[in-house]
Amino acid sequence: MSSQEPTLTTSPPSQPSYEAAVARVEEIIRRLDSGEASLDETLRLIGEGKQLIERCAGELAAVSGALEELKLDELVARLEREATPE
Amino acid sequence: MLAPMLGRMSSLPARSQRPPAGIPDSPLPGPYPVGEYASALRARLRAFANVQLIGEIVHLRAARARVYFELRDAHGAIPCAVWQRDWEAIVARIGEPPTDGAQVVLAGGCDYYPGSATSSPGFSFSVSDLRIAGEGDLLARIERLRKQLDGEGLLERQKRFELPVLPRTIGVITGESGKARDDLLAGLARRGWAGRIVWAFAPVQDRHAAPAITKALGALAGSGEVEVAIVARGGGSLADLLCFCDETLCRTVALLSVPVIASVGHHTDRTLLDDVAAVSCSTPTHAAEAAVRLDCNRARGEHLAVALRLREHASRVRSAHDFHLSRAERLRDHGRRTVVGRARQLALLSRAPSEHIERQRARLHQQLREIRAGARRRLAGDRTANATRALVIARKASSTAHECRERRPADLGRLALALAGHDPQRTLERGYVLAQDPNGRPLSTVEAARGAGRLRLRFADGELNARTIEEER
Repeated sequence: MSSQEPTLTTSPPSQPSYEAAVARVEEIIRRLDSGEASLDETLRLIGEGKQLIERCAGELAAVSGALEELKLDELVARLEREATPE
Repeated sequence: MLAPMLGRMSSLPARSQRPPAGIPDSPLPGPYPVGEYASALRARLRAFANVQLIGEIVHLRAARARVYFELRDAHGAIPCAVWQRDWEAIVARIGEPPTDGAQVVLAGGCDYYPGSATSSPGFSFSVSDLRIAGEGDLLARIERLRKQLDGEGLLERQKRFELPVLPRTIGVITGESGKARDDLLAGLARRGWAGRIVWAFAPVQDRHAAPAITKALGALAGSGEVEVAIVARGGGSLADLLCFCDETLCRTVALLSVPVIASVGHHTDRTLLDDVAAVSCSTPTHAAEAAVRLDCNRARGEHLAVALRLREHASRVRSAHDFHLSRAERLRDHGRRTVVGRARQLALLSRAPSEHIERQRARLHQQLREIRAGARRRLAGDRTANATRALVIARKASSTAHECRERRPADLGRLALALAGHDPQRTLERGYVLAQDPNGRPLSTVEAARGAGRLRLRFADGELNARTIEEER
């Protein structure tokens, strides 16, 4: 019964997840490697692959710096400050 | 308390030699050898009346000779031991071995192992019989709540979350000084992850734990920044983990808007939080791997490889583009040349019929001229040759006529004279005689004439037959 309910997601549905982006890039590479893509398709796939890999690399770069640690109270205080109109 | 009592025991052996000195000024008797005292204690404990006890089995474990467990209730516990043969008989009778949490009634009495020079002493309630009294209250209550939550679909809600592969912010609820925190950080570092961690420190094992954890989870989820929350502690006994079976906490987790990873127990102790959470992990290290599903270190390498592959394909496309461009330029040039060539050819073709006729006419005229000239040359040649031939014939005819008329008679006369000069008759006329044999053959030598015997002598005026006669001289 519960398995028929839709899957919950924590990311906006409009953007493909990191996993989906990586899977799509792998699919693109396979297609390009097959040599069956026409010139038009090849150019389109390269453009799409570049966009996806840049996005994935960007996501990775966001968690590649220095570990940031803060306490819940600090987060709550910051959010309250941001929520308070100036 | 027992010492004075034991001091009065009649079983203690009488001291045959003087005991060593005790503590000065102490009012207590002794010192007694500890082994003797331990034996006396065992005897005393065994003298206690055998009774029946009721409680829950906890920490059940089998050793080589005995089976050990604790019998607990809310107010206390007592260590118990059953000889293996008695345990097997009990199991055979009740059908299956009792497990942790089982509510049982035990029969038995106090016992004490006095130990030895190499083994430790120990107290136990020596069990002689056992009866299952029903599931333990604690576990039964947890089980009832589990079924209730399951019936409401709350055990599945978190399972439907699609955990982020690469969260930027992770909320962690754990004890501030616990080892779980270090293990979690180590696990995240191994992943190569260095995002943001929001720590919500809370007690994780007393009666304050569940409300504090519930409140922290609500705050983390409410922040809108935390993509996944971890509840972690280093483990403990089931009694220590009871706070993670709190109904309010479990209902809160089930209805939370972010996925929760539970890492509070281990394989043998499963809490309700483990059932309600999106993911249940046995250690904080595993929780870190579940929270960051992507191995960032490896992914960086893979991104590089993919980018290189894409660049390689782009380079191929550029090469192909350049190739096609050059081909297009060549085709354009070729096309231009072809068009110009065709135009020229068409122009030539447009003039071709008249030129062709003109060429053919000129060629025919030329051939006609050549034929006429050839005919004239041949006629002239023939005429000249004929004239020459006629002249030769005429000259030959004239010469022949001259010969016939003049030279031939002279020649004949000369020849006649020559012939006449050779005529024998003329020689005979000059006085010569021709000797012949009877057959007319000339005889030119004496010997021939001697041999012939008969001769015919021919004179100019006739012949004379003669015979050879030789006279001796």
